[in-house]
Amino acid sequence: MIGYLTRRLGQALLVVAGVVTLTFVIMRLVPGDPAVAYAGPKATPEQLAAASRQFGLDQPLHVQLWNYVRDLVTGDWGTSLRTRQPVREDLFTAFPASLELVGAALILAIVVGIPVGVLAARHKARLPDLGVRLGSMLAVSVPVFWLALTLQTVFASHLGWFPVAGEYDASLDTTSPLTLWTNITIVDALITGNWPIFTSTLDHLVLPALVVAAYPAGVIAQMTRAALIEESGQEHVRLERALGFGETTILTRFALRPALNPVLSLIALVFAYSLVNGFLVEAVFNWPGLGRYAFNAITSADTPGIAGVTLLVAVVYVLVNLVVDLLQGVIDPRVRTR
Amino acid sequence: MRWHKRLLTAGVVGAVAMTASACAGGQVRGASQPPSAPATQPGASASTSAAPAAVNDKAFVYAPNLDVVTDWDPATSYSNENIAMQNIYESLTRYNAASQKPEPRLATEWSSADGGKEWTFKLREGVKFHSGNPVTAEAAKKAIERTMKLKSGAAYIWDAVKKIEAPDGGTLKFTLKYATPLDLVASSGYASYIYDTSVVEKVKDGTTDAGSGPYTIDTWAKGKETELTLKAFDDYWGGWKPGQYKKVAFRVTPELTTAWQLLKNGEVNFVQRLNPQLFAQAGSTPGVQATRTPSFQNLMLLFNTESGPLKDVKVRQALQKVLDYDGLAAALEGAGVKGSGLVPQGLLGFTPGLEPKQDLKEAAELLAAADYGPDLNELKLSLTYAQGDADQQLMVTLLSSQLKKLNVTLQAKPMQWNAQWDLGKKKGQDIFVMYWFPDYADPYSWFVNVFRSADPVSFNLSYLKDEAIDKAIDALPQLTATDRAAAEQSYADLQKKIIEEKAAVAVPYVQTYQRALTAGVQGYVDNPAYPNVVSFYDLTLAG
Repeated sequence: MIGYLTRRLGQALLVVAGVVTLTFVIMRLVPGDPAVAYAGPKATPEQLAAASRQFGLDQPLHVQLWNYVRDLVTGDWGTSLRTRQPVREDLFTAFPASLELVGAALILAIVVGIPVGVLAARHKARLPDLGVRLGSMLAVSVPVFWLALTLQTVFASHLGWFPVAGEYDASLDTTSPLTLWTNITIVDALITGNWPIFTSTLDHLVLPALVVAAYPAGVIAQMTRAALIEESGQEHVRLERALGFGETTILTRFALRPALNPVLSLIALVFAYSLVNGFLVEAVFNWPGLGRYAFNAITSADTPGIAGVTLLVAVVYVLVNLVVDLLQGVIDPRVRTR
Repeated sequence: MRWHKRLLTAGVVGAVAMTASACAGGQVRGASQPPSAPATQPGASASTSAAPAAVNDKAFVYAPNLDVVTDWDPATSYSNENIAMQNIYESLTRYNAASQKPEPRLATEWSSADGGKEWTFKLREGVKFHSGNPVTAEAAKKAIERTMKLKSGAAYIWDAVKKIEAPDGGTLKFTLKYATPLDLVASSGYASYIYDTSVVEKVKDGTTDAGSGPYTIDTWAKGKETELTLKAFDDYWGGWKPGQYKKVAFRVTPELTTAWQLLKNGEVNFVQRLNPQLFAQAGSTPGVQATRTPSFQNLMLLFNTESGPLKDVKVRQALQKVLDYDGLAAALEGAGVKGSGLVPQGLLGFTPGLEPKQDLKEAAELLAAADYGPDLNELKLSLTYAQGDADQQLMVTLLSSQLKKLNVTLQAKPMQWNAQWDLGKKKGQDIFVMYWFPDYADPYSWFVNVFRSADPVSFNLSYLKDEAIDKAIDALPQLTATDRAAAEQSYADLQKKIIEEKAAVAVPYVQTYQRALTAGVQGYVDNPAYPNVVSFYDLTLAG
């Protein structure tokens, strides 16, 4: 087990190192002087030279790469050329909001996706199954941007059931200020018992979470259905049928648990995917997360900001993959020797 | 299958731990107030006795499309935050685009002597900074001297200043190295703020400010949707009347359609920019008012006068006549209007009669004289413009299709500004497309930066080198300071020379601001000298 663990960790580190080098190279390959992004569009030559010096852009490329890696390792992710704040601090402000949105979306996706998958498997090749397959296909393929705008126009603007945009009603900051512990608004509101902000956040979460949940809900439903159908061909299911258990009982009580293994690995991967997929949704709903930060960084040529987001997302991907690999190793000892 | 639960627990614990490690924990969002503080707690001032009877307790909500604050220092601030800073800080004067003159603000009157090389400003009496300290000549002197010393952002506006003196508490005297219209400089949108130098070192974290304006910082939460809120400074020298907004919030909204929905719902009061389709809707939506104002920002096609095919003045003149200016203005649907010359309306030196006109026949003749045309040689031109700017894209598309008829192929390349500028400094294109706007309301900015020769290249991206033009440009500041009529004439002559004779530039359009506000707001004036700034103090809520 220890050998497997070190091997996997080593591979993960290699991937991160690769991403770091690649981001750095791409950052420097992009034409244009990054100092301009910091010093402003009308900077004088002196101001540009000063900015270049400040960010070490006047050094040779290999020295810059070395400095970049050294700083990263010591926890310095550079200074954003746009916000002029340390990138790490910026990310720590933006990331929790994205985590909140994607977390809510995944809970929604699991709560909807798994039962729906069971339903489809139970009525295989009949109307409910066809409906679920069609619905999940739509959920997976609909462009998030379009879905976000449509839900916003219909349910927020026309019907007025939900707020148009935002994380929570900002006027609550003065009437019932939120004490931050995790930086995830809804979690903080819950643990400090701040009900006005909790309910307001919940209200604001519904539409964007629905949009982000569409893709994961679709794939989870499809995967659950496929895994259950495969599982119901197993010998233990025949035995259970022979013992007189009903089809629904067999599916939910005996077949579902083993069938959930692949679904769980899928959920972990979909989580990382949704983080990036949610960028556009964040833009439409003014969600103060990573997506908005990335959008601003890209449009203002803020290379340290872009690199920071890329690296963070890469690390999340690698971490999630690592967790899945390790868990599979725990469940199925055969994996460790592969 | 207990590992399912373990995975879930591990996931939740991991996520919580990851973010918890980021913050010390237990801070209050917005940070400037303790949780128990009432929302209406007065800021720096203690005297609240003169609170108006029937106040407007609504917050005015501004929806900017980018983050608001990147730099809180009034000396170096040179970005979006001007929409907040202009309401927190004040300058000696403020430009009035209608009268084309600076008006009193912290200074009540001023005069110049010695051919525009000596300026004396009388300061308003009884004005206090938000810190409680009085605004004196000594304080103003210290503020400007600090800004000059930091040499960042737009600090160059004070370059002419040799010496500042404060002979008494209410008089500020400037001695200049060369003549300059200092009353205009003092009205600049950036770097002209008078601030309290005794507290300015503490403004970085956005919990406090060093200004004297009508509003002061309430909360600042970087990266949040409602990034910044301001509250009224009760001791403001102008006083407060019922109906004025005493609270302001900035709600960052990158998507235009989202901003529009929020405005229609009455959740925000002001949207800084709408596209033509939404602006047309705004005009006919109940509860919404729409305004359109020409800006001080125009688009320029700078022709490479030094090398390549455009070295020939006939080819440049032909290009000026190819573009369908009226068609472009119509296609822009109000986002831009045809200008006259280089100086936008509302600034000294605006010269009517210089409106460009399309003339394809003459363009073809001019090209033929240079051996280009449908039956002659093919002309290939490279052009660079701003990536992601739909208006510039439209202009380039129109230009390119017109040129094709004349056997001219346009290789247009959209680029990010830093890359485009880098290439321009290396003289790497035939046509450089860019916007220009002045930092203070003086057209000198176009001439000294864009058309005066400079080596190495900075913004003189037409690479024009003409001694007579340089000499005339250098004389402009003194003329503006001493003889406005002569300055006006000189600006007119220069524009004719640069546009008609040298054909160094074409001006496709002047940008127009298309704003939308909720209907109940009264008193909004869009001042192009302060782009995107709303003077919240001037607004009242009707009814």
